[in-house]
Amino acid sequence: MKVGLFIPCYVDVVYPQVGMACYKLLRHLGIDVTYPQGQTCCGQPMANAGFQKEAEPLAKKYKDLFEGYDYVVAPSVSCTAFIRINYPGLLKEDSHRCHIASNTMDMVEFLHDVVKVDKPLGKFPHKVSLHNSCHGVRELGLSSSSEIVEPKFNKIKDLLRLVEGIEVVEPERSDECCGFGGMFSIEEVAVSKQMGWKKFERHKATGAKYITGADCSCLMHIAGVAAKEKAADGIEFKHVVEILASGL
Amino acid sequence: MSTRKDIIDSCRSSIKTRYERPSLGDLEPVEYPDVLLKFVAQAESVGCNVSFAESEDEIDGIIGAIYPDAMVIASNMKAVKKATVNPDEVAGAQALNHTDVGVVRAFLGVAENGSVWVPQTMKERDVCFISENLVAVMQAKDVVGNMHEAYKKITEKEYGYEDFSESGYGVFIAGPSKTADIAQVLVKGAQAARGMTLILIKDKS
Amino acid sequence: MSTSHSKAAKKFLENREYADWHDQTFWGVRVKRDGMAHDLPEWERLREKASEIKRHTLTNIDVYLEKFADAAEKNGVIVHWAKDAREFNEIVYGILKDHDVKKMVKSKSMLTEECEMNPYLEERGIEVVETDLGERILQLGGQRPSHIVMPATHLSHHDVGELFEEKLNTEKGNHDPTYLTYEARLSLRDEFLTAQAGMTGGNFGVAETGDIVVCTNEGNADMSTSVPKLQISVIGLEKIVPDYEALSVFVRLLARSATGQPSTVYTSHFRKKRPGGEELHFVIVDNGRSKWLGDPLHWETLKCIRCGSCMNTCPVYRWSGGYSYSYFIPGPLGINLGMLRDPRKYSGNVSACTLCLSCQCTCPVKVNLGDQIYLWRQTLDEIGCANPEKKMICQGMEKVLTNTSLYNSLSSKAYLLNMVPSFLKDSAVNPWAYGHKMMTFPKKPFHKQIKEYIKKEQKDSEK
Repeated sequence: MKVGLFIPCYVDVVYPQVGMACYKLLRHLGIDVTYPQGQTCCGQPMANAGFQKEAEPLAKKYKDLFEGYDYVVAPSVSCTAFIRINYPGLLKEDSHRCHIASNTMDMVEFLHDVVKVDKPLGKFPHKVSLHNSCHGVRELGLSSSSEIVEPKFNKIKDLLRLVEGIEVVEPERSDECCGFGGMFSIEEVAVSKQMGWKKFERHKATGAKYITGADCSCLMHIAGVAAKEKAADGIEFKHVVEILASGL
Repeated sequence: MSTRKDIIDSCRSSIKTRYERPSLGDLEPVEYPDVLLKFVAQAESVGCNVSFAESEDEIDGIIGAIYPDAMVIASNMKAVKKATVNPDEVAGAQALNHTDVGVVRAFLGVAENGSVWVPQTMKERDVCFISENLVAVMQAKDVVGNMHEAYKKITEKEYGYEDFSESGYGVFIAGPSKTADIAQVLVKGAQAARGMTLILIKDKS
Repeated sequence: MSTSHSKAAKKFLENREYADWHDQTFWGVRVKRDGMAHDLPEWERLREKASEIKRHTLTNIDVYLEKFADAAEKNGVIVHWAKDAREFNEIVYGILKDHDVKKMVKSKSMLTEECEMNPYLEERGIEVVETDLGERILQLGGQRPSHIVMPATHLSHHDVGELFEEKLNTEKGNHDPTYLTYEARLSLRDEFLTAQAGMTGGNFGVAETGDIVVCTNEGNADMSTSVPKLQISVIGLEKIVPDYEALSVFVRLLARSATGQPSTVYTSHFRKKRPGGEELHFVIVDNGRSKWLGDPLHWETLKCIRCGSCMNTCPVYRWSGGYSYSYFIPGPLGINLGMLRDPRKYSGNVSACTLCLSCQCTCPVKVNLGDQIYLWRQTLDEIGCANPEKKMICQGMEKVLTNTSLYNSLSSKAYLLNMVPSFLKDSAVNPWAYGHKMMTFPKKPFHKQIKEYIKKEQKDSEK
């Protein structure tokens, strides 16, 4: 099984440690993982802002880079969801036959559904509040959603259970949007900030020392708002893969 | 002015693919082990008083006990001997204003939402709404689980279809009139009845 | 980089305490809806059926409209057809004039809001009295609805109390909702008794039987039509359902989704004129709908049954209020309907969405509201309504991101931004800085770190 690692632009530039954690964890699990150089962005920021055309060349670039792999994995649910759902359209391919779209997976999905990890992972003896990102919940199905009547499940929690010493909690309104929304955060600044602030307050109210999730962009937003309000109080933000890989 | 044909033609020219109608055969709606029990609980939860009676002879007694101060009682039901006004005989709908208790016949209860089916069986139907309190009298056996069943039954003769189709009006009523339009605070008795009592006549068999 | 919505939202959020209350109030309705949904194990199947029935009905609406009108006429109903708002208002006015109506009571109808019927009739000397309590409050206060189901919920009981003191002569300082509701009841009772005509909207029109079905909690649609002798019921053409079997699906979903009740208090079926009454008129309105039906990307918006659940669940609606949208219907539904109505006029609302997709997971008839907002955004540039700064950013991003060497060189220098003094970084030029502290960029981006790491790995393994 050949696996390509996709590290989206903002993770590359702002959260390289998350990329490193992915690479190390996949290697630890004995997976043949490669990071092809030359990657940039999936095109989601432009497309969500209404400039899907500007994302087309990026979809082609992505396809060229990753075509030969059995799976492409990424530590960012909204990028993954964008690729999975919109690339067939951008590449003008039949959605059932667009392998590059269907074979792109979020790290959590890949570890949970393909690798089916069941042995103990890292050690993280802390209380952690889990942030369920919209596109993880409602597009990739990483967890059941509060709107839909279905049996409760949460793949992120399943994986975190493999970490020694961890206590996982969820905030009130556990899958309500944090207000990032890509370009939304700079176009609707007031609502975006308010939503991010409320999200932070609810995470904080759990008493957790860390806030984690499968999408760095939500975490970046919430952390940015908390810092602006000088309210972080030592609460740290970590991508879920960093926690899974900690101490490995 | 546009005609029926103009508008329907305009719709037709917009339709691209015609979709099939689904069957409800695989819907599998929830079934209640005891529909009457569920109906009573649900009716109470939407604000109804629920009383059981052996026969219609007990209606007057129940009304007397629940609404001891009622002066004006409107009904066209023979069993309601306490009635002071008959909605079949009043000069107009306005005459029923200031009714303390209106008593009407209901033909079906629905367990999932506590509503009862009241087709118009009287000349002035405002008795169902203008009365301060509404009493609906129904056979306890005439309860179904959900609205799918209810919509099948209300076109059957035993459930008042003749009255419904003749008068051209019927309503499912679930408890007293309600509103939460002021600051989302629930208040019973918005524009119509402020209280509701269900009298369920037990099956003799 | 602001839009009509974002500007209004910013203003709305200036009153923190009120905004908090607004969010909690509508979230509370969402929670009640969840409770109802989770009470029915068949909920998701029910939604799917509802969606499929609507698809079927809308794509056979020509057949069903004929059926509905035939059935209604057979029942003695006088059926009218209005292609737009102007025709609608003229028809209604014509009926009222024929019957010498001076006062009409009416229940809630978003269709009459859409056609701006009340001012049209009032200009022509007809008094129109709204009888839904929320609508009545707005009418007395000269406001428009801020939500399609709970039109006055944005007002506090003090706002209503002060308004009633002035308009209904209620006790000074008594702002108890129960008291105020009772006073409104008394004053409306007079209106019901003295009006010559009653009007209702319609939640559903049943093709097979010719019924118009109206769902209310207050009983005001029934009060409006059981006292005056003349009845007019008005309905958008997309509200037709085939028969009672189909109707049962929607009736089960509507109130559960809207307010978290198992049903509305009254589900009223109007089929014939009242015994002893004068006439029953139905007005069927197109006003753009037949054209929207032909829009390959957006026709499914017409499936909507107007429960308002997309508004309650929408975080942007909850944190910005109904008045921050420029179309008369707010929230995810209003963004979409506004764009169908006039994209140039209402494009300032499409920013009001994080694409969280909660709306379409809540929608009882599975309208993919969020996905459609994404699609509407793609059209803004074409119709000349794209924000120029946003366009520049996106085109600039494309330039950098499609050019790997340019990206690599810029991303490797991102850390230099850390050295930009905060008074510049956090200034108004940078919209991110409005709500966020600027992030710190690490010295080396991932693509450099991994190169070095792999080199080291290889060296280690060679040893």
